[in-house]
Amino acid sequence: MFEIPDDRKYLESHEWATTEGDAVRIGISDFAQDELGDVVFVELPAEGDELAAGEEFGVVESIKAVSDLYAPISGTVTAVNEELFDAPELLNDDPYGDGWMLEAEPADESEFDDLLSPEEYREQTE
Amino acid sequence: MNFDQARFSRDDEYEPLLSEKDSTTVEVDSEGVLPDDLTRDELTLPALSEPQLARHYTRLSQMNYSVELGPYPLGSCTMKYNPSFTEDVAADPNAGVHPDRSDRTIQGTLGLLHGLQEYLADIGGMDAVTLQPPAGAAGEFTGILVAKAYHESRGDDRSEIIIPSSAHGTNFASAAMAGYDVVELPSDDDGRVDMEALDAAVSEETAALMLTNPNTLGLFERDIVDIAGLVHDAGGLLYYDGANLNALLGRARPGDMGFDIMHYNVHKTFATPHGGGGPGAGPVGVVDELAEFLPSPMVRETAAGYEQYEPESSIGKVHGFAGNWLVLVKAYAYIARLGDAGLADASAKAVLNANYLASQIALDVPYGPFHHEFAATSGDRDAADVAKRMLDYGVHPPTTKWPELVSQAMLTEPTEVEDKASLDDLAHAFNAAYADSDEALETAPSKTSARRIDQVSAARNPRLSWRALGDDE
Amino acid sequence: MLDAVGVDSTEDLFDIPEAVRFDGEFGVAGADERELRDAMADLFSRNEELTEFLGRGHHAHYVPALVDDLSRRSEFLTSYTQYQPEIAQGFLQVLFEYQSMLVELTGLPVANCSMYDAATALAEAALLANRLRRGASGHRVLVPEHLHEGRLGVLENYLDGAEMEIGEYPMADGAVDVEALADLVDDETAMVYAETPTVRGVIEERLADIGDLAHDNDALFCLGSDLVALALLEEPASVGADVVVGEAGALGLGTAYGMGLGIFATREEYLRQVPGRLVGASEDKADMRAFTLTLQTREQHIRKERATSNICTNQAWVALRTAMHMAWLGPDRLVDLATQAVTDASDLAARLDELSGVKAPLYDRHHFREFVVRTDQPAPAITNDLAGRGFAVHALDDHHLQVCITDANADAADGLVAAFEEVI
Repeated sequence: MFEIPDDRKYLESHEWATTEGDAVRIGISDFAQDELGDVVFVELPAEGDELAAGEEFGVVESIKAVSDLYAPISGTVTAVNEELFDAPELLNDDPYGDGWMLEAEPADESEFDDLLSPEEYREQTE
Repeated sequence: MNFDQARFSRDDEYEPLLSEKDSTTVEVDSEGVLPDDLTRDELTLPALSEPQLARHYTRLSQMNYSVELGPYPLGSCTMKYNPSFTEDVAADPNAGVHPDRSDRTIQGTLGLLHGLQEYLADIGGMDAVTLQPPAGAAGEFTGILVAKAYHESRGDDRSEIIIPSSAHGTNFASAAMAGYDVVELPSDDDGRVDMEALDAAVSEETAALMLTNPNTLGLFERDIVDIAGLVHDAGGLLYYDGANLNALLGRARPGDMGFDIMHYNVHKTFATPHGGGGPGAGPVGVVDELAEFLPSPMVRETAAGYEQYEPESSIGKVHGFAGNWLVLVKAYAYIARLGDAGLADASAKAVLNANYLASQIALDVPYGPFHHEFAATSGDRDAADVAKRMLDYGVHPPTTKWPELVSQAMLTEPTEVEDKASLDDLAHAFNAAYADSDEALETAPSKTSARRIDQVSAARNPRLSWRALGDDE
Repeated sequence: MLDAVGVDSTEDLFDIPEAVRFDGEFGVAGADERELRDAMADLFSRNEELTEFLGRGHHAHYVPALVDDLSRRSEFLTSYTQYQPEIAQGFLQVLFEYQSMLVELTGLPVANCSMYDAATALAEAALLANRLRRGASGHRVLVPEHLHEGRLGVLENYLDGAEMEIGEYPMADGAVDVEALADLVDDETAMVYAETPTVRGVIEERLADIGDLAHDNDALFCLGSDLVALALLEEPASVGADVVVGEAGALGLGTAYGMGLGIFATREEYLRQVPGRLVGASEDKADMRAFTLTLQTREQHIRKERATSNICTNQAWVALRTAMHMAWLGPDRLVDLATQAVTDASDLAARLDELSGVKAPLYDRHHFREFVVRTDQPAPAITNDLAGRGFAVHALDDHHLQVCITDANADAADGLVAAFEEVI
């Protein structure tokens, strides 16, 4: 079935979040990339942009669909994975590793705890 | 039937591009008629002889499937035969006039426009018709603007338009373009409008409910009178998407069902050629109360002849001029040729053909009773792959994976032009493809000019001109 | 077939409630083909035959026989949108070639394969400008005084739902009053629109300045033109145009009561915001280059209310005809045609100017195909009298006419001048 690593948290809308030092790293799940099919384009915010938890921050596009991306936490974007612009297929090939999307400095650490645990997310995708 | 599509090729391309046959750069100096700083320096385009061009385009035409080659049963597209004589009529040298001519000098043109307005009003059960919108989607946008103007004229500020989830994508896009929020309506278990859900969705925010009838599964909305009542009681208007009008000609009219506004797709119901994606036309009909809001100009008949006029509270323009004139001529000619009897006969044959075809294919059709189109399902086989394999049998496949209500949908509309023999060919193509091996489906098509084309590469690395191809090298 | 379906009559297949059944007649008699062709020929013969010197947004050049002949091949004419590209390489390639020609003419790398007409193309450009700003302030589109009423009307309707507004800037002697425009462009401006030639035939001379004004205020510069003019005048990309719209129907269609073909070309960076269909190159399973509709996720059938536009059926067959016409002309003859549009207009204006009480052209500018004429005598009466002598020109108001000359009517220029002489 779909990979749902235990080392991170999830959103109902299929984004994942994990801590990388002070920052929170964000991406989309294996389920999401499979649903989308071959990703052809990703639209992401820029460094310095603000994220608001639950609000859309970007778009991921495949041949057959366009999906909004929703922020798991509020904060300021500190890094964007620019590899995705030339190689959007990274999202399909390695959604939890090289397919990471962005990192942000969280405004409120407690928001991270509100996210779905791997078990809760697994239940939801079944 | 065996099918092998023409294929002209050399090296790693099919027919070379014009630019690969010739590329000529001319210096543009305008011989001093304009100062140098007002002209471009040079222009690079292909320069080929007429015989070379004739070959180029004729070869390309042979690598293109069409209604005149074989069945084209795309659901909700009504790919019917385009009568030859309509092309000649549209090419009449007296017909080609400029839109700024004065009325009294173009009585022929205005006479045709007036005649078509009347024909469509009668066919749809409407009171007034504008011919200006240049496509169905443009008609939807126009109709919604009319609804908006109507509500505004009553001081009524409504923000929502209700659209069934099975509706054509243009419905949603048109409503959004007009500034409305879309409320999506689910279907009930029988595939029709869920009355409970509709009741919950209708409110004083409802500007309109947009419906296709028969709907995109080919089912007639039996509750249409109640639906109309619900919407009207809440002060909303009822809008008819005319894509499926081919099922009803002579037997039912949107105006009689309670619809206030409708658009017609003349390139569907009224047989104007699809031309590889257009042009079409999307005239809009309305009931009396809404006639004052129609776009300008309209044509009316007076004792002195035909004249153009601006409706009292017109929403203005939806096209730079009067719409797609040449398409309107062909629609008029088709209607005049068929007449009442011919139009009713077309619907009858369309409905019979769809039912017969469905009875001959091995695929399930989960929803019925359907009319001129049906949504079959390819079950556990991918509808898009089955469709690709159908190409190898010399037919165009149906619309796939829509509406989403049916999983692996194959929405099929044979139209009235097929006869039993061609329907049997079509059924054979369905059944053979459906029963073919996984490998056959994955490698399909193989009898067409091109093999399966890589959509991902096209989207990841867009190359949209020969200049871009040149840059890539 | 009825047996196979299991009914006695086709009528049994209709599931229409009694309450909404229609048992009446539309009152259309029907006719056989021959009767109908005669009737329609008779209908059109009621149009007065006038030699038209008319333009103002709808122009006609001579369309060669090859265009009719090849475009009317049923494989092109009766095909549909290329949702199955493997069997539609022919049409896809012609559309790709059409897009490519627009790229050469505009200098912008992205051109779609059609919009309905110049008016709706302009409206879509404004909506694109709105999408790009997304939340930033600025929802005003600045358009020239004397913008064709059809284009203005369509723009108003398209912008209504987007909560954008239209502002008008003045012209000076027929061309953009750049200083006045400068006063109007501010951070509320989403797009500045200018045309060359203008609806009155004037060739704009300060396009680059207009472009700079727009860019200095973070606004889009949208340029309106037409295919023939683009072959001669300044390349839009070189004057900073972000979007090019306009009418391509002057080639390929002939006079068609205002039916047209809208141009839409823009920069690479706006690719994903472009409305309408795009044809792209790719490879097939045999490693051959092949063409396909691409980036369809922008469009209504996938994106629904989030689509870049509601456009579905477009003007594809008109684009095919236009591409054929441009191929037939080749760059030399296309540039000649455009050059002729300048010289013919200039010559005709000079001849009319010699008549007493007539000033032509009104504006002291270079003109393309058409020009405004000022007359001491009432213009409407002049146009009536000219019509009586077999010629049609525009009456703009009480003392202004507009006259358009192309290769399609140039040999009647002598007749027009003679008629003017009689009438004045």
